[in-house]
Amino acid sequence: MITENKTYLDPRKVYLPITDEDARVASLQVAEEDEVKVGQIIAKKYRGKEAIPVIATVSGKVLGVEQRIDRFGKVIDHVIIENDRKNTLEAFDTFDGEVPTQIIRNQLLRLGIHQVSLDGLYTDIRFDQPIEHLMVDAIYTNEPFISLDYDCIVKEAEEITDGILLLAKACKAKTVTLLVDKFMNQEALDEIGKAISDTIIELEVINSKKMNGVDYKIARKLINRRPSINLLDDGIMFTTVFVARSAYQVIRQGLPLTTRKVALTGDAFVTNALYDVRIGTLFEYLVEDLGGYTDEEALSCHIGNFLSGNQVESDAFSIAAHIDSIDVSRYRDVEEDVCIKCGDCNDICPTDILPQNIMDAELRSVNERIVELHTDDCIECGLCTYVCPSKINVLEWVRRAKRRVG
Amino acid sequence: MNFTTTKPPVKYNQQRSLKRALNLNIALIVLAIASVILRALTPLAEDAAMTNLDIAFKAFLMMAVGVIVSVMVEVFYAISEGTIQKFEVYKRWIDPINTGLLIALLLPSTTPIYALVISVIVGVYAGKLVFGGYGYYIFNPVLVAVLFAHLTFGGQMDITGTPLLLMKEAVFGSSVELSLQSLLIGNYTAVAIGSTSVLLLFAVFVYLCVTKVIDLRISITYLLTIFLVSLGIGFINFTTQGMLIYTLVNMITGLTMFGAVFLVSESVSSPTSRETKIAYAVIVGILVMLIRVLSAEPEGVVFAILFGNLLTPFMNRTVKRSQTKGLIKTVVISIVAIVIVSGAIGFIVQSRIIENLNETAALFGGIL
Ligand code: SF4
Ligand code: SF4
Repeated sequence: MITENKTYLDPRKVYLPITDEDARVASLQVAEEDEVKVGQIIAKKYRGKEAIPVIATVSGKVLGVEQRIDRFGKVIDHVIIENDRKNTLEAFDTFDGEVPTQIIRNQLLRLGIHQVSLDGLYTDIRFDQPIEHLMVDAIYTNEPFISLDYDCIVKEAEEITDGILLLAKACKAKTVTLLVDKFMNQEALDEIGKAISDTIIELEVINSKKMNGVDYKIARKLINRRPSINLLDDGIMFTTVFVARSAYQVIRQGLPLTTRKVALTGDAFVTNALYDVRIGTLFEYLVEDLGGYTDEEALSCHIGNFLSGNQVESDAFSIAAHIDSIDVSRYRDVEEDVCIKCGDCNDICPTDILPQNIMDAELRSVNERIVELHTDDCIECGLCTYVCPSKINVLEWVRRAKRRVG
Repeated sequence: MNFTTTKPPVKYNQQRSLKRALNLNIALIVLAIASVILRALTPLAEDAAMTNLDIAFKAFLMMAVGVIVSVMVEVFYAISEGTIQKFEVYKRWIDPINTGLLIALLLPSTTPIYALVISVIVGVYAGKLVFGGYGYYIFNPVLVAVLFAHLTFGGQMDITGTPLLLMKEAVFGSSVELSLQSLLIGNYTAVAIGSTSVLLLFAVFVYLCVTKVIDLRISITYLLTIFLVSLGIGFINFTTQGMLIYTLVNMITGLTMFGAVFLVSESVSSPTSRETKIAYAVIVGILVMLIRVLSAEPEGVVFAILFGNLLTPFMNRTVKRSQTKGLIKTVVISIVAIVIVSGAIGFIVQSRIIENLNETAALFGGIL
């Protein structure tokens, strides 16, 4: 349970990863000892031919490049900047009223909005494929029965709405769907309802206590067929209100994306808090700020969505733009029971495939059957594992089956 | 700080296999107690060899023996395999207990104890352990044991005068006297100790549905199939009232309800996906009625479900995906099958009894 809101905006140093999973090559744009401003380009990473700027999130002196682990446990280059705490901002243009599509796209890319939501079905913010539908998630969940932050929505409903419309303009979306929680407090709902009236934004109310892959189902309804694992391929951009709010700041106020909200949860912390944190801050600093771990032994650290996120071996990573939640809990070894063939996993699967049958086929090593069962369509949402009464990691079996047939 | 890593998810929902087994256990114990009491109250024929108390005690004895033997077989097997340490955890005991109780509940109170012991050994060993134990068997071990008992010791556990047998005779013109009240509370000669009050079974049914032990889709489809087929047979053979009574007896006596609660939707031996579950339930339901009407056996549930179990691996290995299209197709085919089968059985029966049609209908008037 999140009980506090905290900020951590002035770390001594920031560690900014300059490559990512998709863009593995980067060219450095600054040298050691250089003074940089907030928003200045420190590196360009390349995905194919496209160059994506990596921006400084604090002003200060570049200390150099160091290899560190990122949230996936991969060792990659990080640029280290010493924070001079002056927050000198590079000047960026601001735009009012109607903004042309191309300008929004350029500004978003230039000011750091590229890969902000990564978990689950969320897509990157990129425009190299035609987009027809924009889905924006206003539900902030990291665990079932849940930690929700609606303050931001209440206070900034107008800004968020404007941000959503800017995003819609940028991707030339025909429909815009805003996903809100059935259990959202009335105030937040009223505010958001008022803000989006008279716009093309449609509300979709979701029961967030039911874990049933509802985002996938909405996407499916939008395009009238089964979406693939990457919604962008189906002409859908799916992102969060956090991104919408950042888009507003980028275009209207000329502010680059330098901070983000991160939920720190789990029983290894004394308290759980929602942090407003400078991107590039080391996770260790946050832990220290929160009062350290309650226990030094056998903890596990889970980053991102509780169903499909990943776990890391060390807390030496820094907060990247796409980390929205971190859970550190006592390590629990769940004992698997035998599959009782109840079919719960088959029932929950949002893509209508049959994970139990895939698991069976994988156990018997029948490749043909694995192909026949449409194993490819799995979007790795993890729901099958979540519902399994025997606590079998069904998704792992499906992954194994996928790997077997290549 | 270094962390231990596992695979996500970090949280699961509230369902646990163990919880389901425990709920089943609770339901079975309630039912066991109720059946003992009911056996003690059921009126007996004047010349009966045993008194009510004898029968009640016999029922109790059978259940105790069933449980003990079933647990012992599993423990001895584990010792011989060198895996006895798994019985150190409490949850390992639940499934053997459930199996033993179910077998005892499914046999008539006339069953000799030695027959029960042998049947339990066969059921647990040949039906369960040979396949690898709980979770791996193809045939429901309970039904294997019961089938074995019927085939081997059929002579010693003859049953006469169950409502379903009376019905079979009724279509040949003999007279039937049943009271609805007795049928509902289970006050009649039953094919098995567990075939008790349909009201109680219904309560258990609801409880197990809520706790998700039962897959509602299987049980309801199965009941619905039996309902529709018997309605069809009744429609062809009797007047409206006869039809309703025929259906009623088929629904609330015998093992129909017991099957719906404990046997058809036993998860390990039933299919795993939506469409196959429905198809399976329809097949079992139709078979139950076929056996009841056309064969000399008093009850068809055991055979029908075992046959369904036989088809399960096949169904599991042919289904490809659960799509709405597939679901509609399954439902449509099922309905067509039910209509055809009930028509066919109806007419087969009719050719035997055509002359008794009116009298039979009149006879049933006594029930309501
Ligand atoms: S198989 Fe499991 S992880 Fe894959 S889509 Fe279905 S429910 Fe999700
Ligand atoms: S949910 Fe678990 S126990 Fe049930 S069928 Fe799937 S894998 Fe087996």
